[in-house]
Amino acid sequence: MKTENKEKNNDMISDLPDCVLLYILSLLNTKDAVQTCILSTRWKNLWKNLPTLRLNSTHLETFQSFAKFVYGILSLRDSTTSLHILDFHRSGIIWPSLLKKILKYAVSHNVQRLNINVSDVVSHLPSCLFSCQTLTSLNLSFKYATVLFPYALNLPALTNLSLKCLIFCAGDDGRVEPFSTLKLLNSLIIKYCKVRDAQNLCISSVTLVNLTMISCPYSFTEFKFELSTPCLLKFKFWGIPIQKLCGSNNNLYSTKHVDINVAMVLNSMDTPFLLLKWLAELANIESLIVSVLSIVPDLFKVEFPFLRNLKSLKVKLRDIELEQAVAMSQTEAVELGVAFDAEFEPFSFVPDGIIDFLIQNSPFVDVNIIDF
Amino acid sequence: MAAEKSSIKIITLIAADGSVFEVEPNIVKEMKTVQSYIDELDQNTVSIPLPNVFGNDLAMIIEYCKKHASEEETKEAKEEFDFEFVKRMKSDDKLRLLQAASYLNMESFLQFMAKAIAAEIENQSVEFVRDYFQIESDFTPEEEAELRKENEWAFK
Repeated sequence: MKTENKEKNNDMISDLPDCVLLYILSLLNTKDAVQTCILSTRWKNLWKNLPTLRLNSTHLETFQSFAKFVYGILSLRDSTTSLHILDFHRSGIIWPSLLKKILKYAVSHNVQRLNINVSDVVSHLPSCLFSCQTLTSLNLSFKYATVLFPYALNLPALTNLSLKCLIFCAGDDGRVEPFSTLKLLNSLIIKYCKVRDAQNLCISSVTLVNLTMISCPYSFTEFKFELSTPCLLKFKFWGIPIQKLCGSNNNLYSTKHVDINVAMVLNSMDTPFLLLKWLAELANIESLIVSVLSIVPDLFKVEFPFLRNLKSLKVKLRDIELEQAVAMSQTEAVELGVAFDAEFEPFSFVPDGIIDFLIQNSPFVDVNIIDF
Repeated sequence: MAAEKSSIKIITLIAADGSVFEVEPNIVKEMKTVQSYIDELDQNTVSIPLPNVFGNDLAMIIEYCKKHASEEETKEAKEEFDFEFVKRMKSDDKLRLLQAASYLNMESFLQFMAKAIAAEIENQSVEFVRDYFQIESDFTPEEEAELRKENEWAFK
């Protein structure tokens, strides 16, 4: 059945080993990668051994065509090939059965990096996901906070965890401490999450190096949290400080780099004082990026013998990313039927004396004011 | 073994067209094919023929390796170099360098070229990909139609 062109087929790319061609195909969205099956015999079955699947609904018009595409991949892909990376994006509706199927497939094919981004309301995730032995990186991103994040995790290889719009809940001991079983956790991102029953979220990890926490700058999603992270090097926080960082025992002695963006939506008198308490707890930091503290009477009368090692101070006047987050959360609040009446006024000046106050104990500090 | 390796001062690479390049051992570390030659030989100077790589391409690869092996260059300077390096190449150059990287068994340079190529065919039609790679189909029109039907869920 081969045509006479067969002998002339000596293009540069087709002579390369499978692993090189598969590496290129892995960088493409999987729909385009599958279409290369019609290039020539060399390419006909190549896609079936792809170690990376990038399934993105924006490349398909309707949900039906997306569902057919996903089922087509899963049924024809070589099932002995491990799936190292799964990148799954679905904007719009999704059948729970489809999400369940793809997640179970990934876990049973030794997935290492999983990135799930779904905009539909999801009620729950298959439990096998949270006992996957091969998973090193997990990113769960939802539009609505409707999925409970389990309190018992068995993910022994996990180093990177990123969660958007999930709900944390208490375990059998009554504590909300979901990360303490992750023995290799290095990086944690918590974005727009909630905690059930107004409990404290305890972030306990002896290995955690990078922590990012971003909350919607309107009050009802703010939750209290407590850090027990002796190896934490970088801490980024966007939201409103509402409690101390470590409870009674300060263990943030490793923390060197801090980026705090305070959403001053509530104009609370307590916020600047709480922020100063945080800076006292983060005593060893070398670089600090902070959004402008508002001035409240008596703020500078507070004794502040901290930040002795500070080498770099950056003061943000406005933060475009934060403003976008506010704008987005406003839209989402409207979509959720929630009244949104918080005021957000980004500051456009640095109040007198604030920089001198922060650097009063650090003789060798480089100060920058970042204006956007 | 380790002492022998460190005694090598200069490595001579001979490209397919006969052009000669003299490089220091740290430059060829990334080239596993070359490294395996060096490991087998017990000499102070080594001369290695590379019959599958042309001089122009080898010059570019060495330039890349020198930049990336340098400890003085910042990460930003290396990124800037990578950007300009890709910018001045035509698609044929990229495919040839990918082939050379595969032959020389250079992991990070191979990934770098693969990314540059993927960026060009990303979100393009399969017909564009065929032209870009200069692949001649060995399917009859009937066979191609059959394949499209079999995988119709990917051609929507």
